Amino acid sequence: MTTASGQSARPVLACGEVRTCLLPSFQPLDGRAAAQLLRLRADEQVRVSERPNLYALSPEVLTGIDCRLPTSNGAKVRAVGTVAARAALTEGRVLQATAHFSAPAAGPDLRRPWGDYLVRPGLVESFGKLPEQAAAEGALRGGGRGELDLGMIAEGLLAQLLRHPLLDHKAPFKSRRTHLRWAARRVPPGEAPSLERFTLAEDGLRTVELKVPEDTPTAAVAGLCEDLALHDWLLTTVVHMLDNSRLGAADGPSAVLALRPAVDHLLHLWMPRAHVDRTLGHLWDVLEREPGFTRQWRNLVQRIRDQLAVQAIPLLHQALSTR
Amino acid sequence: MRDTVFRETTAEPRTQSVPLSHLSLELGHLYMEDFEAGPGRLREHFAEVRIWVDAARASAARRTGGKRPRISTCFLIDDYFTRFSTPAELVPVVLAEAEKAGLVIDYLARESGCAVADRIELAESVMHRLVESPPPGSYGSRPPVSQTGWLANGQRTPATRSALSDAKAWVPPQETAARNHSVFMDAELWSEKDGRRLWSCPFLAAVWQLARLGLLRHLGEPVLTPRPWDGAGFPPDWDRLPPLLQLNPAATPFSAYRTCTLMPNRFLAVEDAVRLILDQVDVDSGALKQVAERSAREGAEVPAAVAQRATYVFYEEPTNSLTTEGT
Repeated sequence: MTTASGQSARPVLACGEVRTCLLPSFQPLDGRAAAQLLRLRADEQVRVSERPNLYALSPEVLTGIDCRLPTSNGAKVRAVGTVAARAALTEGRVLQATAHFSAPAAGPDLRRPWGDYLVRPGLVESFGKLPEQAAAEGALRGGGRGELDLGMIAEGLLAQLLRHPLLDHKAPFKSRRTHLRWAARRVPPGEAPSLERFTLAEDGLRTVELKVPEDTPTAAVAGLCEDLALHDWLLTTVVHMLDNSRLGAADGPSAVLALRPAVDHLLHLWMPRAHVDRTLGHLWDVLEREPGFTRQWRNLVQRIRDQLAVQAIPLLHQALSTR
Repeated sequence: MRDTVFRETTAEPRTQSVPLSHLSLELGHLYMEDFEAGPGRLREHFAEVRIWVDAARASAARRTGGKRPRISTCFLIDDYFTRFSTPAELVPVVLAEAEKAGLVIDYLARESGCAVADRIELAESVMHRLVESPPPGSYGSRPPVSQTGWLANGQRTPATRSALSDAKAWVPPQETAARNHSVFMDAELWSEKDGRRLWSCPFLAAVWQLARLGLLRHLGEPVLTPRPWDGAGFPPDWDRLPPLLQLNPAATPFSAYRTCTLMPNRFLAVEDAVRLILDQVDVDSGALKQVAERSAREGAEVPAAVAQRATYVFYEEPTNSLTTEGT
């Protein structure tokens, strides 16, 4: 049975959800503290990178599930297996939690012994055939009542991390969480991966549709989507900050005060594909062409710098005239 | 594609591999009551075990396709639940009785080493790796095993309401993997006494099985590694005995693809609970992969599920009449 299952276990679909938020800590965490925060298990190491930026990645933890998968056509598909969840912290400032799973084209009609599922972490098997398209669309739409809820698993991990005693809950500025749902259809090995669609929806929801070769690990796809989510969160947050600063209308010092957190905490975080698997990094290109994530970011940064420069001129005048 | 020029060791996952035999054969598990029954009891035990050792060796040889299998033997002494005697007094008796039966004990372990070994909290780490088997309807809420201290193979009977509410009909517990009818089991993993956690015998035995299967790591490094014995005497205090001692310098590695445990049939329930626990532990994936690849390369592929790698022989316990001296 095990060898047969090994063959049929070739995944045809991978889905996930990333939640991105500002770490509620007055100071960003350094590498050691980041490793402490993300140590979800005492016996497994946290991966910490210092180049090209400070990035810490937790080990994956599993959640057992046995429920219906959300589907776009209402098909009732029961699935059993484990959802993998992990957390990442970038520059000790932006915290992300991802829950993800892979699914093979079909599974047995009987539930296997639990130990058989645990040795294939992050794999969820449907009873019978998996309706790939409907399940991919369902994952992007999100789970209904009693259906697999990746957002809840990611949120649960985030909540667990936010209770950590290292955090003082004094965030330097207000920001909103975003959630990014993704679904990756598997294509034969050798075919090029592609980003099919990136949708910016309301209430901080973003969805990403991908095509990824079978031999690309799901963790690598999750890493790409975390990178997309991180940069989308940066754009969302800085745009919001500029909106609230009421540029031009506000008097000098208050505009400076409103924009200061961006300079202190966010402007240095922009670094697309810093920790993305090499085979997937180029999927960014399509977003750089349209709408042009980096183009928008540069524009925002320029506006902030110009604004601060404009506000500095009167101060300079003042300083010169009082000489 | 070109290899990466730049690497960061702290950013790469690493799992050190451990040497592996084909079979880890446990020759016994000594509790205080066995010791109190005198050396005759040990003699009976080893005489009985000897028969099954030969069978286990034959079975292992069949799996390796005629090649001589690497088999290491081990013996576990309980120093966790009750402290009795001293290593200096006890170990030579055990070794002598084993030798009389024609058996060699390669490795000697202390049960408390399964709780804490070399200041690493093994039991605690394994506890954090429990991923409960989800009953149907589980859509992502994580059941808090770490709060209850119990682990089941299905859904428990719901708690009864207060006396004031309507009397509810009793709902039976249900085994998740039941075939027609349930065999429901609920195992206690630990208890708390005076603020200290006392691990249960099945839980420590599950840690012991994982160690024997070469699946335990701490930050990627092997744990409960055997310390060589210098051939001199044994210490007068259990705490001074290494948690895992290699008695036979010529022994094959302690950990193995499979385990076989020989024990009296009164341990049946304990070992059933051990399997229940092993079936719900998410073991280090690096270690799991190493064992799977190496066993496949040697033509002795392990079963995918960890619990399936452990086998047992439960034999009839020697009666006291048999153990009296001179029989």
